[in-house]
Amino acid sequence: MNTATSLAAGLLDEVHETQSAFRALLDALARPGQVKTLAPALPGVALGGAMARLLLTLCDEETPVWWQSAAPDLQHWLRFHTGATVAPDPAMASFALLTDVASAPALADFAAGSAKSPEYSSTLIIELPGLQGGTETQWRGPGIEDLQRVALPGLSTDFWTQWQVNHAAFPQGVDIIFTCAEQVIGLPRTTRVSSLEGV
Amino acid sequence: MTSNTAAGEISARRSWMAVLSRASLTELEAKRVLVGELPALQQVRPPEVGMLMLRGRVGGTGNPFNLGEASVVRCAVRLGNGALGVAYAMGRDKRHAELAALFDALLQDPMRHDELQRMLIQPLQAMQAQARASRRREVAPSKVEFFTLVRGDT
Repeated sequence: MNTATSLAAGLLDEVHETQSAFRALLDALARPGQVKTLAPALPGVALGGAMARLLLTLCDEETPVWWQSAAPDLQHWLRFHTGATVAPDPAMASFALLTDVASAPALADFAAGSAKSPEYSSTLIIELPGLQGGTETQWRGPGIEDLQRVALPGLSTDFWTQWQVNHAAFPQGVDIIFTCAEQVIGLPRTTRVSSLEGV
Repeated sequence: MTSNTAAGEISARRSWMAVLSRASLTELEAKRVLVGELPALQQVRPPEVGMLMLRGRVGGTGNPFNLGEASVVRCAVRLGNGALGVAYAMGRDKRHAELAALFDALLQDPMRHDELQRMLIQPLQAMQAQARASRRREVAPSKVEFFTLVRGDT
């Protein structure tokens, strides 16, 4: 009963709000590195606006979600509104919610799909303190005309080394959606990332 | 002991939710005046219409089969900081689900429970039981018993 009393509301206009969130996400993944804006945070939900709306848009009862930091209230909230269960370990997750990249499992620990069905891979949703102001990286690949400069804060060189391995495993591998409050940046597995120091 | 009380609470709630779900909209609207002024109503899940697959079992094997689909409307509301009221009802009447969820939330409030149980649930329950009994009496004469006579060939 305690969890039920603190249960927050979902989207009020579910059809249109999920459609516009989905559209923003499509744009973000079609144009890696460009910032797309979703709508404000939901009242009573301790997640950024983009994160909360993407979860309500993407999850259903067939997509287990792995949480880096267990939050029973939020897990119950997502279960109530979408039916999504909690994945016990990263390799079983359709979606993974990360809030602290430094202490997160390696990218290789998440589901990468198989050569036959690369779509059974995890999609990581990572909340960052900001979407600019970090070390600059150069992104190239499908959806980027020439070169996209992105400076995401809070990501180590080790993370980008792991990303290169993830990219090399194409068509397998994880996709990443970086969020900060209302904004998102997509990093699909097709994107090559190099840093200015030539890593 | 705790699990027993919890199970009792769940079955009590289940029975009043069933009564609210079977009641007609007119009946529920008529009872709305019982509760008077209310704190702000928050729609945790606004009323929404969907479909459910009804499954049945038939024949000696008892294998389930899909009988058909039914439209269902559901809703979840909270009054102020109170308990969460949830309702499911057959049909597409959003107001029905909303009122049923509202009453479910109020019935979980110990201050109001007894009064609502007496003024709302018990009369509705009695009416529904009566309707079911009279329907049963109506159709009982049309029941056909099949049996085979032994042919007297010898």
